[in-house]
Amino acid sequence: MNFDFGFAIVAAVIVVSALFVVRAANLIHAVLWLGVTLLGTAALYAQLNAPFLAGVQVLTYVGGVVTLMIFGVMVTRRHDGIDVVAQTEGADRGFIFASALFVVLALVTWKSAPHVPNPAPVASSADIARALLGEYLIGFEVLSLLLLAAIVGAVVLVRRRDPEPAGEPSPAAAAVSEVNP
Amino acid sequence: MSPVTLAIVATVAPAVAALLLLVLSPLRHRGAPAAWVTLLGSLVSLGAAVMLLVARLGGAPDARATIPWIEERGRAMAEIGILIDGVSLPMLIIVCLVALCVQVFSIAYMHDEPPRAFGRYFTLHALFLFSMNVVVVSPNLLQLFAGWELVGLTSYLLIGFYFAKPAAAQAAVKAFWMTKLADMGFLFGLLVLYVSTGGFEWTSAPSATVATWVTGLLFLAVVGKSAQFPLHIWLPDAMEGPTPVSALLHAATMVAAGVFLVVRADPLFALAPGTREVMLWVGSITAVFAALLALVQHDIKKVLAFSTCSQLGYMVAALGAGQAFAGFFHLGTHAFFKALLFLAAGSVIHAVHSNSLDDMGGLRKKLPLTTAAFVIGSLSLAGVPGFAGFFSKDLVLTSLEGKASWIPWAMLLGAAFLTAFYMGRLLIKAFWGELSERSSHAHEGNVAMTGPLVVLAIPSLASGFLGGWLATQSSAQYELHLGLTPVLASVMSLAGLGAAILVFRKGGQAPFTHVLEKLDTFSVVDRTWAGAYRIGLLGVASLAGWIDRYLIDGLINFTGWSALEGGSSARRLQTGLVRDYALLVTVGVLVLVLIGVLR
Amino acid sequence: MTLMNCILLASALMAIGVYGLATRKQAVAMLLSVELMANSANILFASFAHFRGGPTGQVFVLFALAITVAEVAVGLALVMLLYRRHGDTALDLASEARQ
Repeated sequence: MNFDFGFAIVAAVIVVSALFVVRAANLIHAVLWLGVTLLGTAALYAQLNAPFLAGVQVLTYVGGVVTLMIFGVMVTRRHDGIDVVAQTEGADRGFIFASALFVVLALVTWKSAPHVPNPAPVASSADIARALLGEYLIGFEVLSLLLLAAIVGAVVLVRRRDPEPAGEPSPAAAAVSEVNP
Repeated sequence: MSPVTLAIVATVAPAVAALLLLVLSPLRHRGAPAAWVTLLGSLVSLGAAVMLLVARLGGAPDARATIPWIEERGRAMAEIGILIDGVSLPMLIIVCLVALCVQVFSIAYMHDEPPRAFGRYFTLHALFLFSMNVVVVSPNLLQLFAGWELVGLTSYLLIGFYFAKPAAAQAAVKAFWMTKLADMGFLFGLLVLYVSTGGFEWTSAPSATVATWVTGLLFLAVVGKSAQFPLHIWLPDAMEGPTPVSALLHAATMVAAGVFLVVRADPLFALAPGTREVMLWVGSITAVFAALLALVQHDIKKVLAFSTCSQLGYMVAALGAGQAFAGFFHLGTHAFFKALLFLAAGSVIHAVHSNSLDDMGGLRKKLPLTTAAFVIGSLSLAGVPGFAGFFSKDLVLTSLEGKASWIPWAMLLGAAFLTAFYMGRLLIKAFWGELSERSSHAHEGNVAMTGPLVVLAIPSLASGFLGGWLATQSSAQYELHLGLTPVLASVMSLAGLGAAILVFRKGGQAPFTHVLEKLDTFSVVDRTWAGAYRIGLLGVASLAGWIDRYLIDGLINFTGWSALEGGSSARRLQTGLVRDYALLVTVGVLVLVLIGVLR
Repeated sequence: MTLMNCILLASALMAIGVYGLATRKQAVAMLLSVELMANSANILFASFAHFRGGPTGQVFVLFALAITVAEVAVGLALVMLLYRRHGDTALDLASEARQ
């Protein structure tokens, strides 16, 4: 079994950038590190003979989700011009649980030892398209409905309710502003 | 008609009457029609019973017909049906005859009742006759128990007939409680019998130990039903019911059901000499104790009530001596003359409008027929030779002769003297002497009242001579012999009467009246039971209350409390922080995976 | 590159995502962690597709991507709401259900 450098590099990029995602002190940095992770994943897809997936990954995730996240961080920032501090809490506890999870998952993987020596023939983009619009057509259409519902739901959620009088914050907000002036 | 059909007719006719009256309330509320329906039912019963007797005299054998009852897994747990033999047939005739007489008498006696009460009264009478017939013809102990309880119910209802009167309501409840307490014995006896023999037959012969248990428990019920010491206290109070009811239920038939039960279950009792020994003593003590108390009563009905207790004591003593026939014979004669006495007393009460002996006096001039009936009944009860009571009492006393202990025999002889003595006192106080103020307005009732007296007077005089026939019917030994006991008994009864004339003619008092009255008013047994009620029942009740309040409720409250406490401690687990929940989900996944891996 | 390696990588990514979810306070940061976990699942799909052959695995990755995007949209809308209500995006504030 020869060492696969390409996979090793991609895996290292993914894991390290993921660690930065959860450890970065600045929230904007964390989002950007997520972008790196997702790019790494796209590279992995390419290695896994799924170029179409890699493209979609870059387009929707890196192009869409990360941008959306940055918008989210910006919009919910309290004070302009100051770094958005990403607070963390209970790091020890989180570490213990996370490593326990990893150990157990690795144990299971190792025990079940999925050994597939020869990769199967590659599925081309045309195959994927046929599957999507043939075998999985219903799922595909239902998914479009889900997206529509999510978009409408998101709009409904963030829409300001007009009858609420301006300048009179809710009691909870008032309490918070007393605590953190 | 076949004997079985006749027996069924005899049993069911009063039930039809009762059902008719229960369902057709207009008929019941009209009063007089209800009486006719009931009388018709009783008449049919009596007619069927007499036809059975005729058939039997013609040589017909015992009749027995049963159908399975409470089938389980193809096997009948018990049977229900009829049994006509030498014991049940005479009893059936006695019950029907006395009931019919009492019902006829009631038409006159209860005449002043409002129609609704009148109808209710006769409905209950029909129900009673049915219940008693069920007891009499029952082929096994289970059906007997059913009838027994029905009889207890009707007794309760009839004692409490004047339920608006507190004393009557209390007396009804008291009678019900005392007999129910005793009936527990019957129930448990039946359970023991069923468990050990798988049936309810009195002929089934279990081991001696089982027989002792069963008979002991049954005897408890007998003590209650037949008003034996110390459960006798309900019977005098039961005199709060209408006098004909006292005559029928609490003198002639119902209280005799206990004796009848023992006669029926004689094969079982024969296996339990211990129970018989107890019965002998209980009967003797009751006979003397009740006779003593009868001596100081001022209520004419209470004298008769205590006398009934006393005579039932005779029967129980005879049964205890192992002479079931003697007890049964005395039951029969006693039914006639005690019913006669009670009805005559009812006639007197009807005429004088008072129960008290002090309001009576010189009644023989005003009520000649009633007086004659009363005298016949009294002499029969006292056991004067030639009268019915003499033969049966003689048989009872003879059966006690030659027993291991001579004390019961002596006690019963003494009771015979006392019986004559208190009956003499009653006769002299009520019927002889000066004409009292109330008595002066007295007059004899109509034929509905006097008729039954005449009818009942005949067997009170003559039924003693039927002893031989009755004995052959129930295949018992019976011979009238001139021994020491009959002579002594005759002497005792005559001496009692003589002493009564000597003492009471001049308006004197019985010796030891003072002591006995103290005994009566202090009512030791009553107070003991009341105390037992307070200490025992109320103690148990308050203990149960405590257990309920603190243990049972405590358990419930603890459940609620622990749920609340558990909830509020589990509440701490719910931090409301998403990351804690995420961790918990992870823990769940870990546990599941580990289970999957390590299994 | 073996399937085992891919699965181990996905497991590591999942563990890191759990760590982030358990330690981060801000809602947006927690969403990032969730994204990591979703990504880990996607990697699994893709690698199974690679070693098994056929388009099904890749189709599922596409579906999962779409669902993730929808989730992010709704999640960010909720974050906006939270911020509007409390003036902060710390999810700890949204624990009224406890009281």
